Amino acid sequence: MKNCKDIVNSLPLYAENLLSAEEKRAVEEHLAECSHCSKALADLKKATAMTQGLTEVEPPPWFKQKIMARVREEAEKKSFAQKWFYPLRIKIPVQIMATIVIAVLAVYIYRSGDEQMKAVLPIVPQPVMETKQEPIPTEMPKAKKSAPAPLAEKKAVAIGEVKKDKTSEEVSFGGSAPKMGMQENKLAGASDKSLATKSDLAAEKEEKKYSELKVLQEAPPRYSARRENIREQSEEDSSLIGAAQKSKSFKAAAPAAPRPMAASLAAPLQTTVSVYVADVNSAVVETEKILTKYKAKKVTKQLIDGKAILQAELPAKNLKDVLLQLRNLGRVEEKNMPADIGKQDITVVVEIKNQ
Amino acid sequence: MSNIIDNKKVTTGDDDLKYVVLCRKGDTEAFAVLVERHQKKMLNIAYRILGDYDEACDVMQEAFLAAYKSINKFKAEARFSTWLYRIVINFTKNRLKQRQNLARHESVSRDESTDGKGGCTACLSAASTDNPAELLEQREREEHVQQCITALDVEYREVLVMRDIQGFSYEEIRDILQIPDGTVKSRLSRARVALKDCLVKVIGDL
Repeated sequence: MKNCKDIVNSLPLYAENLLSAEEKRAVEEHLAECSHCSKALADLKKATAMTQGLTEVEPPPWFKQKIMARVREEAEKKSFAQKWFYPLRIKIPVQIMATIVIAVLAVYIYRSGDEQMKAVLPIVPQPVMETKQEPIPTEMPKAKKSAPAPLAEKKAVAIGEVKKDKTSEEVSFGGSAPKMGMQENKLAGASDKSLATKSDLAAEKEEKKYSELKVLQEAPPRYSARRENIREQSEEDSSLIGAAQKSKSFKAAAPAAPRPMAASLAAPLQTTVSVYVADVNSAVVETEKILTKYKAKKVTKQLIDGKAILQAELPAKNLKDVLLQLRNLGRVEEKNMPADIGKQDITVVVEIKNQ
Repeated sequence: MSNIIDNKKVTTGDDDLKYVVLCRKGDTEAFAVLVERHQKKMLNIAYRILGDYDEACDVMQEAFLAAYKSINKFKAEARFSTWLYRIVINFTKNRLKQRQNLARHESVSRDESTDGKGGCTACLSAASTDNPAELLEQREREEHVQQCITALDVEYREVLVMRDIQGFSYEEIRDILQIPDGTVKSRLSRARVALKDCLVKVIGDL
């Protein structure tokens, strides 16, 4: 027989009919004899009924909305995280690839940008060019020196300076000698008109001869360098030089001292063509024929240690044709080909050499 | 009433699952459906265990948010509701622990069985009776019952609330609490006897 405590403890299961048949019978036997336990069972049933009968509480009206607000907030965070970091097995390789691509691109752009910078900014290579041009400045001072000295002279002959400038321009661009003389006559005023004209003409002739000689003797690069120097100088410079030259010739009224600058200025356009042939003598004959065919004037011929130098003045339009014809004779090298050939004549120096 | 809900759930199977799937795809509105379905039951569990309405609401919010965050961890081995109630029970228990720790820190012994401080009389559903005297009596009685429930140990409290108030089956309780069947039964027996003794003490003759 079980005591009351054991029976009371098994009463809930008895009430729910969860006890085995044997236990159930034992409890029922005890309950029949023990009023205390019977009351306990009654109380238990009542208590359970009370518990089951508890009124349910209702959630507050804002409850679902409040929860959902927080859930949506969380969802945004989650989706952001998902967007950038999940699924990792896809996102990580993609991110790595993207990083590599960006890095490669950055390097490529940096390098190509460097080249572009070099192209855009020509300032950087300038010092290099200056060092290359080093031999030129030896001639530059000549031109510069020749300018200031006549400037002083020009000041002395202050009368009619404006007019002088005008004429000087004509001179520098190959103005004709008689015209120049006439202009100077005007400037000279009443003093010895005829003498001045004569002397001027003589000076001009001298000049021309000198220039021709110079063209023949001087190495072409030097000549071209000088010409470039002169072109680079402003018009003001050239006019000043012209004025100086003119005033000098006016004052001296005699074959003046050698004036290399003036000579080169007055010289007509010139080009040098080297022709390499098997037989120099026959080539000279052929070249002469070609030159005469294309209306060459003043054809001169020189034979210096196995090479022949032919010089002629050609109408500029015929230059191309002459060159074509010369190519038939042998290998042709052109030097100092002028960029713009005007309508005027051009002096062509043809060097015929053995191959 | 709770038994009816229980039976209905068993027969219809777990129709929460499709909302869970939608939820995983990022449909927050699907979660709203789940909240709507389970909020009342969950709130009642939390309220009866804690004995404080506001605290129960607070715990509920945390529980739902945690459920949403970890919805991808839910595996359809058990019913979704089982999983959800487990979360609520765990959050409720944590809250009780926090409360006890706080009480210890403040060196103020807080008698949990003191009259329903956090009770929400206004939140209670309208009683079946219109008689004010009877209503008052019923409220008083319910307060006593709640006092006695909160006076129980937590492990007794939770089985009692789930079985006798919410009407869960033994299997469900076993699944939610993840304890053996026998333990559920023995705990429930002790809880009932203790509650009866408490009520006899408080009310006198039942």
